[in-house]
Amino acid sequence: MLLQNAVGDALNNAEWVFALAECVHIGGFAVGVGTIALVDFRMLNLGLRQETPARILSYTELWTVVALLFVGFSGVALFLSQPEIYRVNLIFPIKMYLLAAALVYNFTIHRKVATMKDAAPALSKLVAIVSLLLWVSVVFGGIFTGFLV
Amino acid sequence: MDIAHSIQSIGFLSQFSESVLAYPIVLSTHLTCIALFGGAILMTNLRLLGVTFKSLTITQMVTSLRPWKRLGATVMIATGVLLATSEAEKYAPNPFFWTKMVILGLIGVHALVFRPIVYNRTEELDKSPIIPGRVKAAAILSLVLWTAMFTMGRLIAYWD
Repeated sequence: MLLQNAVGDALNNAEWVFALAECVHIGGFAVGVGTIALVDFRMLNLGLRQETPARILSYTELWTVVALLFVGFSGVALFLSQPEIYRVNLIFPIKMYLLAAALVYNFTIHRKVATMKDAAPALSKLVAIVSLLLWVSVVFGGIFTGFLV
Repeated sequence: MDIAHSIQSIGFLSQFSESVLAYPIVLSTHLTCIALFGGAILMTNLRLLGVTFKSLTITQMVTSLRPWKRLGATVMIATGVLLATSEAEKYAPNPFFWTKMVILGLIGVHALVFRPIVYNRTEELDKSPIIPGRVKAAAILSLVLWTAMFTMGRLIAYWD
């Protein structure tokens, strides 16, 4: 609780800290989700075809993880700045469930199929489409959290 | 302000900004473009800097992702125009909005300057043993401009 109050106070007392946290949140998902999307585009055979999905994953994975950590930390800070608003928000819990699903999916099924040798093209495509849909729905959830209070 | 008022009063634009669903859907689409194509911008620039994706040539990297970046830019601009014009009176006096437009202009200048000497000459670059300074400059400037772009986009909401 003490930590909650300290972080919350800092963000409420200095508007620019809140703005900075939001910018980190956006920059973070641009890199985090954007690098996952590169793997998905390849699995859909729509980009970077000269390289295997596994290789593209190995190039991007560290960027994805580090960026998503930035998104997570800035997101927690934003939440702690006004937890009572998020607690009564109807969309916010849906966003969190979608985020949990997207994260688990990304590091299990998505990773497994992306690194598979000779994965069936149909399977690769299906896995990539589900990945893109999950992440896009998280972005929509974030915006709608702010709009439909 | 009169001009701004007349723009946002155009029938469908005022309906749009008052809609509970349409406005957030278009804003979400605007941000989805950043989410889907931010990775392509970052990784292309890192390839130009020689940091990653070294098993692909610069030509393969640039040409393969070009259609995606174009699609992303088109949707981003179309949704951006809708968002800005529907609330023209709010945007017109906003310094962050105009800073963002200047940065957008600079991204255009970046393309005009570097396309002929970097992006359209990638085969030459692939043969070069070292990455020339102009290529690194193009990559770093692109990263700086795009970071400034989304930062200003977010800050628009902070001016009143």
